[in-house]
Amino acid sequence: MISSLHRIITIARNTLTESVRKKVLNVLLIFALVLVGSSVGFSQLATPGLDSSGLFDAQIKFVKDFGCGAIGLFGFFIALLSTAELIPQELHNRTIYTILAKPVRRSEFLLGKFLGVVLLLALCVALMSLAFAATLYWQELQGLKTTDAAYAQSSNWQANSVLVSAYNHDVQQIVQQVRDPQLIEAIILIFAKLVMTIGIALLISTFATSSIFTIVTTFMIYLIGHMESTAREFWLASGANSSIWQSSLVGFISLLIPDMNSFTIVDEILAGNKVPWSHALNLIGYADVYLIVLLAVSVVIFDYREI
Amino acid sequence: MYFPIGKRVAIVKIRTMESSAPVATPFAAETVGLTKRYPLTWKRKVLVALDHLDLQIRPGEVFGLLGPNGSGKSTTLKLLLGLIVPSEGEARVFGLPPDSLDARRRVGFLPENPYFYGFLNGDETLRFYGKLCGVTGPKLDRRIEELIELVGLQNGRERPLRSYSKGMLQRIGLAQALIHDPDLLFLDEPTAGVDPLGSAQIRDLIMRLKKMGKTVIFSSHLLEQVQEVADRVAIFSLGKKVLEGSLESLLAESQSTQINIPAELSAEQQQRLRAAISQTGIDDQKIRFTRPHLSLEQLYLRTVQAQADLSSKNPSGK
Repeated sequence: MISSLHRIITIARNTLTESVRKKVLNVLLIFALVLVGSSVGFSQLATPGLDSSGLFDAQIKFVKDFGCGAIGLFGFFIALLSTAELIPQELHNRTIYTILAKPVRRSEFLLGKFLGVVLLLALCVALMSLAFAATLYWQELQGLKTTDAAYAQSSNWQANSVLVSAYNHDVQQIVQQVRDPQLIEAIILIFAKLVMTIGIALLISTFATSSIFTIVTTFMIYLIGHMESTAREFWLASGANSSIWQSSLVGFISLLIPDMNSFTIVDEILAGNKVPWSHALNLIGYADVYLIVLLAVSVVIFDYREI
Repeated sequence: MYFPIGKRVAIVKIRTMESSAPVATPFAAETVGLTKRYPLTWKRKVLVALDHLDLQIRPGEVFGLLGPNGSGKSTTLKLLLGLIVPSEGEARVFGLPPDSLDARRRVGFLPENPYFYGFLNGDETLRFYGKLCGVTGPKLDRRIEELIELVGLQNGRERPLRSYSKGMLQRIGLAQALIHDPDLLFLDEPTAGVDPLGSAQIRDLIMRLKKMGKTVIFSSHLLEQVQEVADRVAIFSLGKKVLEGSLESLLAESQSTQINIPAELSAEQQQRLRAAISQTGIDDQKIRFTRPHLSLEQLYLRTVQAQADLSSKNPSGK
């Protein structure tokens, strides 16, 4: 058991090293440029400082939306492209023969490769989150500067207790909006969704004959996963006028393809609504169960594949 | 070889061995009726890559697999390694199913034209494969030193494999195959694409492995090299073994005797010798005098080695 784990970790480390040395992380430089560019550029389109309700800074909201969206998008491409290349590349270079001729089970090879991509993704998401945090902090400073400038227009406002209290409230609102601990919850949920994408791509790559097939099919499943909840609501809702075939088809797809749309709960967090951790943990549990099924099926298919 | 699918051949996937328990056997590798078929669905045909192969290889033997491309040599090696599943028949390695971890602990494999991971250097490559075999710590460090020395790759330790020449790749391939000190080595075209000097080094290495008591099963197109190192060979054609035996028994011409004389004989000396031999009752018309030839490989190696020796004695080139 321990030696099996040791072999899985050895393959995972090699997969991670390969990605790092092939400069996959350079993608993150583009991410950082896009994020900083968007913050200093597009966010200026919104009115600086708190809105008329005194609760909300539109520029900060924009950076949060954009940052989480970019982490999801870049993470999706890193996860999909890295996973799709895993097995075809090993087969093409015949490196798989040298590994499987050693005392290594096929399941260990596959799980090692999976773990390697997950580690790569974790590294990428962590670095992107750091860049995101830095951009948010910069936006906080901008928000505070705008607030200071707005209050400075009233002469001697510090002597006015009402204005001081309003100022403190505004500062607190900006800081709260930026340093929202729920953002960690949002990033963990984005990561869980990306790991599911890796699991789907890995399953397809165990029988695919080319990486392009894996990429296109995973992308389609990803899209279906986003739309299936809408279809379910439409066809399976009580009182819906759907035939048994339509209901069965939607039910079958729901069982087969994970519901990616449930992860749009991240949008609620970004809108400032409270999403309890219990709900996030439920979603992570759902992702874990799906992942275990995906990995088990992948191992069975790969075990019987002719290489 | 193709069979029309009209007489459909059953393609049943059978794991190499029903039982994973070791079987007492005197052989390092053994196959019984080993067959591999690939269904070509779109052409409605079945490709028979290997057809009922029976083979028995003893420990310590160097066994050569010969045959043209597509004759079943690589398929045999892959089946003996448990990398592919036979359609029929069985294979055992030291009495064990080839896909069992116990069997793989005792075998090493160098695939044809290996690429390995171009982003790793020589040391890292051996460390990676060593860890997969459960060799770790100081034992792995020692083993890496020994193998780098054995395959002569001191100049490739820190270089990434993507900058290696073909000969260097073959040598690091041999080193990774030996990292866990296996008893049996499978080498698929170990000298393919390697220059004659590198090829001779690999041949010498196989000889050293033989002296160390290892069993080596290798495929090659270089017949002269096979002749130099192999104890026994099998010749394959169209997925079938058509000939098998020791080199001595296969190559000896029982109807003639060769005498080597370390001097060029004059016409008169030849005539006297012919007369002397004919007195033993042999028809003197059937006696031929020829001068032995070096092979082109021997000439090449002799020349290159002489130049290398000269350079090492006189490094300034004067």
